[in-house]
Amino acid sequence: MIVIRIGQLADQLGVHRNTIRNWIRSGRLPARSMSGKRYLLTESDFAKICQEFGIDRSVLKLKHVPGAPLMSREMSMLEENVRPVDLPSGQLLVDPTWGEVCITCGSCASACPISGVDGMDPRKLVRMAVLGIEDDLLASQWPWKCTLCGKCERACPQNVEIVSLIQRVRGLRERSKLPGPLHKGVLMCLDKGNNLGIPREDFVSLVEEMSQEMVEEGFTGFRSPIDVQGANLLVSVNSKEPFAEPDDMKYWWRIFHAAGESWTLPSVNWEGVNWALFTGDEDSLRTIVGRLVENMYRLECKTLLLPDLGHSYFAARYALNRWFKDDLKNFKVTNIFELLTGYINDGRIQIDPSRHRKITTFTDACNYGRRSLKAFGYGYFEEPRAIIRKCAPNYVDLYPNRADDYCCGAGGGAWAMPFKEERVYYGRFKARQIENSGAGLVVTACHNCRDQIMKSLRKEYDLKVDVKYIWELVADSLVLPGGRAGRP
Amino acid sequence: MIDFEEKVGAVMVVGGGIAGIQASLDLANSGYYVYLVERTGAIGGAMAQVDKTFPTNDCAMCILSPKLVECGRHLNIEMMTMTELEKLDGELGNFTVTLRQHPRYVDLVKCIACGKCADKCPRQVRDEFNQNISFRKAIYVKYPQAAPLKYQIDPLNCIRMRGGRCNECERVCPCGAIRFEDVEKTVAVKVGSIILAPGYRPFDPSGLVAWGYGRFKNVVTSMELERYLAVSGPTGGQVLRPSDGKKVRKMAFLQCIGSRDYNQINKSYCSSVCCMSAIKEATIATDNDRDLRVSIFHQDIRTHGKDFERFYDKAKQKGIVFHRCRTHAVEPGESPHEVSLRFITESGKQMTEQFDLVVLSVGLETTPETAVLAERAGIELTSNGFASTSCFAPVTTSKPGVFACGAFLSPKDIPLSVIQASAAATASAIRLSDVRYSLSHQRQFPQERSVEGEKPRIGVFICNCGSNIAETVRVREVARYVESLPEVVYVETNLFACSQDAQEIIRQRIREKNLNRIVVASCTPRTHEQLFRETLRASGLNECLVEMANIRNQLAWVHKGEPEAATAKAKDLVRMAVAKAALLEPAPPVSVRITPQALVIGGGLSGMVAALALADQGFPVQLVEKSAQLGGNARHLFKTWKGEPVPDYIESLTNQVREHSLISIHLKSVVSDAEGYVGSFRSVVQKPTGSVVINHGVTILATGGQAFKPTEYDYGLSPNILTSLEFDKLHAVGDERIVNGRSFVFIQCVGSREPERNYCSRVCCTHSIQSAMALKEENPARRVFILHRDIRTYGMREELYRRARELGVIFINYDMHQKPNVVVDESGIEVIVWDHILHEPFSITADVVTLATSIIPNPETRELAKLYKLPVDMDGFLQEAHVKLRPVDFATDGIFLAGLAHYPKPIEESIVQAQAAVSRAVTVLSSRWVDLDLVRARVDEEKCDCCALCLNVCPYEALEIERDPDATGRENGKQRLVVRSAKCKGCGSCQATCPKEGISVNGFSYGQLSAQVRAALTGSGTAN
Repeated sequence: MIVIRIGQLADQLGVHRNTIRNWIRSGRLPARSMSGKRYLLTESDFAKICQEFGIDRSVLKLKHVPGAPLMSREMSMLEENVRPVDLPSGQLLVDPTWGEVCITCGSCASACPISGVDGMDPRKLVRMAVLGIEDDLLASQWPWKCTLCGKCERACPQNVEIVSLIQRVRGLRERSKLPGPLHKGVLMCLDKGNNLGIPREDFVSLVEEMSQEMVEEGFTGFRSPIDVQGANLLVSVNSKEPFAEPDDMKYWWRIFHAAGESWTLPSVNWEGVNWALFTGDEDSLRTIVGRLVENMYRLECKTLLLPDLGHSYFAARYALNRWFKDDLKNFKVTNIFELLTGYINDGRIQIDPSRHRKITTFTDACNYGRRSLKAFGYGYFEEPRAIIRKCAPNYVDLYPNRADDYCCGAGGGAWAMPFKEERVYYGRFKARQIENSGAGLVVTACHNCRDQIMKSLRKEYDLKVDVKYIWELVADSLVLPGGRAGRP
Repeated sequence: MIDFEEKVGAVMVVGGGIAGIQASLDLANSGYYVYLVERTGAIGGAMAQVDKTFPTNDCAMCILSPKLVECGRHLNIEMMTMTELEKLDGELGNFTVTLRQHPRYVDLVKCIACGKCADKCPRQVRDEFNQNISFRKAIYVKYPQAAPLKYQIDPLNCIRMRGGRCNECERVCPCGAIRFEDVEKTVAVKVGSIILAPGYRPFDPSGLVAWGYGRFKNVVTSMELERYLAVSGPTGGQVLRPSDGKKVRKMAFLQCIGSRDYNQINKSYCSSVCCMSAIKEATIATDNDRDLRVSIFHQDIRTHGKDFERFYDKAKQKGIVFHRCRTHAVEPGESPHEVSLRFITESGKQMTEQFDLVVLSVGLETTPETAVLAERAGIELTSNGFASTSCFAPVTTSKPGVFACGAFLSPKDIPLSVIQASAAATASAIRLSDVRYSLSHQRQFPQERSVEGEKPRIGVFICNCGSNIAETVRVREVARYVESLPEVVYVETNLFACSQDAQEIIRQRIREKNLNRIVVASCTPRTHEQLFRETLRASGLNECLVEMANIRNQLAWVHKGEPEAATAKAKDLVRMAVAKAALLEPAPPVSVRITPQALVIGGGLSGMVAALALADQGFPVQLVEKSAQLGGNARHLFKTWKGEPVPDYIESLTNQVREHSLISIHLKSVVSDAEGYVGSFRSVVQKPTGSVVINHGVTILATGGQAFKPTEYDYGLSPNILTSLEFDKLHAVGDERIVNGRSFVFIQCVGSREPERNYCSRVCCTHSIQSAMALKEENPARRVFILHRDIRTYGMREELYRRARELGVIFINYDMHQKPNVVVDESGIEVIVWDHILHEPFSITADVVTLATSIIPNPETRELAKLYKLPVDMDGFLQEAHVKLRPVDFATDGIFLAGLAHYPKPIEESIVQAQAAVSRAVTVLSSRWVDLDLVRARVDEEKCDCCALCLNVCPYEALEIERDPDATGRENGKQRLVVRSAKCKGCGSCQATCPKEGISVNGFSYGQLSAQVRAALTGSGTAN
């Protein structure tokens, strides 16, 4: 048997890597994928392709291993050239529950929506860690195509901490080799206080401008919320909104206004994104969450609203529990579901249920649901459904749902990473779920789900649905004093 | 010590499943009075719901129902249905048990189970016996073969009980058996010990939303599938899609639902039986329907029992597809009648497949009611809710005098439940042996009346079997016809010929009408002949004077909807029976005196346990051991799987055996010759000092097994390549190979599951895992690998498998590719193995390689089996009488087996098997005489000329030619043929061989059979 790496072989044969890939895909070069982007093929198959393409085998540097293809009983394994098993170094598997307890039953691999893509599957990934194939694992793109959705862990009968392992693999990769803009975003956030490097003055003047618009739209008395000392609620912002979709910020503003909330946006370190969770960079994750805590003290706020992005909510909750336990004595923490539920139940906002008549469904955000359930013992499944039913009574659930719901395909940083094909392919499950539900409106609780469905899946899978954030739905259902609609 | 006077010679068995039934029968047959307490309305338990049993695919009901009948009829078993244990006072030897009896609302004595009440009852209810697939009425009988076969009212659903106005059942009941005013009662009984056998329930998967149970109609549990497969079940044995009733085309089994799950349900154990039951169900379903395609999704396949591996292989040959992959969920399919499963193929490709039936192989768990029972009985449970016991006393709970067996100890299959039940019977009886027979009853029969010289006066009793027969056969018409037959003097029809009141009627008629031959036209003699024979004896007639015509199983059930033809056939069958009955002849009862001594062959663990348990009950034991010391293989073992030290136990056991006054030990001895039959064996034992003859009533074979010596994996080429037992020894003595070793490889299935030994050795996975764990616990930096095919840590052993992985032991499955390659050279040992997930070879530098070799039977076992004329299976293990229900008996009465000679097994299973063999042996030893079946060969001295042809064909060596001792002078030298009645099984080989009709089998003579055939050919039911 011969072990090849596509890049190497392409160089040696003088063809493009995709050519080799095409050969393999078409069956012209019958190869079996191995761990670490390597392929295994028989001597005779390789000889055949060399002959066909007039390649002189003798000049090629090839790695030979004894053995025969899968399931053959005749192969003879000799002692040369076989990879030795290394002990897991402990840098990857901090605990046997991260890998060694795996019984290789395949539940995770059957659950993962992108098993098989690029040879990846969570079981192989865990196995590589267990057998100490660490360099290949760190070099692999597999961990970066994973959306950290936790569907595999949910299915795992042995409770293997697959997501923790993958996050650790991500964290151990050399920072300069991280795919896409994730690490650059983290660096920018650490440096400038937000991922996109928006200067303080620009942000403040944008918010002031928008506040003026709010007043013009009829929200009498709306004032710029920047740095309101002693406000009840401290709110963060996803930097994509001031950068590209500033109007989207107003959904929350309208709700706060209607509820008579005392709230504020910090003028600095207001970033609601925390890509350090995606890059497995615990130090930066802590720093970024720490800045929200600093803002709480600086502005003497009473309640911190955890960021409205799924991952960032999770990162903040995780970091607060882990590193800021003492600070939690000094202020309260809430999240979007608790906040909206409170507004509705306490009668602080009025909802008009007649404005959304389409069949409406909700896609569970992995970080609010399944992952919270596992990490914190409670997942937000019923709260969003109760809120949505108030605004759009014609509600149906997707199947599966709640802790078993599928990820949209854009989690784990996938929305920002350069693996579009995989991301779209991943989303086929979400698309089919939505189609089968018959819904005309999909409500999301996370920016990535919303962007994936609205901007990608709708087009790719021809979905005829509207997509709204849950706070957008609430804002659009608001009955303002005097019976006015919440929508300008 | 308890005073003799205080001890009570009765035992209570709680739970009427197969385990409870077996324990009750064993105890009742060895001189104790038994209270069999059952929570529901009838005994039978889960086995009654199962269609067929693995690995023989025997019909479960067919083998269970004789036991049900026996319990129902047994003088010394008092069945207490709808009863729960409320309180337990007192102590070992003298307990007072308070029981709560729930109202049945039907009089147990008066009800004749005619079924009229259920016909009229207007209330339909889901039938839990059929897993809610079909409906029953609010007044119902649990299942058609139930014991007791009595109706009961379900008060939650009865219109009347819920305050409505309905009395239909009361109105139609011909016996006035309905008791709406019935109330709960509390009773107290005194017993010497208690056996708890409350069983299990199948895991309810509706809490795990991923499997879609309750959401998708075509997702069912394995227990539901059993009811679909059952011919007597709601679909008549067809597997139909619940969604639309169409035939199933593609079926998938999902294994380990509710087992081996640390994530959502925290079930840390393996349910042991689901792999085999899935294979069995898949096999039956494909046998019934050749077009059906079946896939089984599993992690490990655990076929660790006797003949299981071959059963698994056969299933693969039948085209059942085994996927070594679990799926994560059941999802909506492409059509409304399908569901979709996504999984990973062995080569790592993700696939989606549509199935129209998904079967969840649900695990076994104990119930909350069982926890309550345990609390009331005051015994400890494990964290998983099973009874807590030691490996050395596997059926003894934490409270003296309270024993447990069956699935209550851990999930298990029927044979092991039956073995444990018998073992529990032994354990509960040991301390009560001095009050044996103090409370039991003996059936008394009147003096037998001679019928010699009388003309046949035949009485015919035709059974309606409720509506079973009557709805197909016009019983009255048959009765009128039968009246016209010659020698018939009396005909009567009965609703149930087998009911207690019917027996009274038969006795009365025999007296009144002076009947001397009886024909019962009802069901099968297999289950009921014994009953009618007893009725005859009770009326002073010889029991051989009854003949049965099976007009139910062989007629009414197979000709449903054809009353005309069925009635005609019924007439034919009864006419035939009458013709034969006229020729029936009485036979003298054969009873054999029991020599109250046991011979135990094999002084290993099983032999010693058996010897001690027999001696403790007062029976002398001769213990024969071929080696120079007692202990056998157990002397090479260090720890049980629960971690208990084996050497201490073996030492104390050996001492007890040595010091017991009733046990004679013969070391360095072998049995060289044997003859005799149950109650009266004679064996010759070769001792170093010469041979001795031992007379004994029973024999227990515990001849053990041995470790297979491998030739593969370079065994013998390096001092560092060891077998498991060698490893244990070196490990125990602190050999430097082990102490200094950094890298250890265990290779499983060495010699097992190979073509020449196609069975699983059952203990090796657990053994290697324990060794691996010890290595890791001593030094976590060691690298330990276990190369395996399936990990078979069945039952609670699964927890060890998990702990081993937690300690960092790495498991590689080599089954998918090929066996590992062990290469020895100057630098050391290298093991090359292909990983089953990454599909590439890895090399492991090993300091020590341990081969988990198989267990093989002792070669002497085969010789010994020949001496006692016992069968061995193709692997050389002793072949028991029936793998399911007679797991320690042989077809030959009075000989029993235990331990490794039967099949590889761990210590606690050898111990229970030895105790079970004792229980079975005591049913013989405890009586002074044993009555033998009367269907036996009989010589017609007029016709026999002693040609001796029959001697050659007799498989039981029951025939002998002997010189007539009374003959003198010229007559001296005259020979005659003699039947050794105790050995004869009535098989009829002699009769078929004899050219002169000189020998015949009682009840099946040529005369009787040809009369029957003639009757079939002449005259016909339709002609009348």
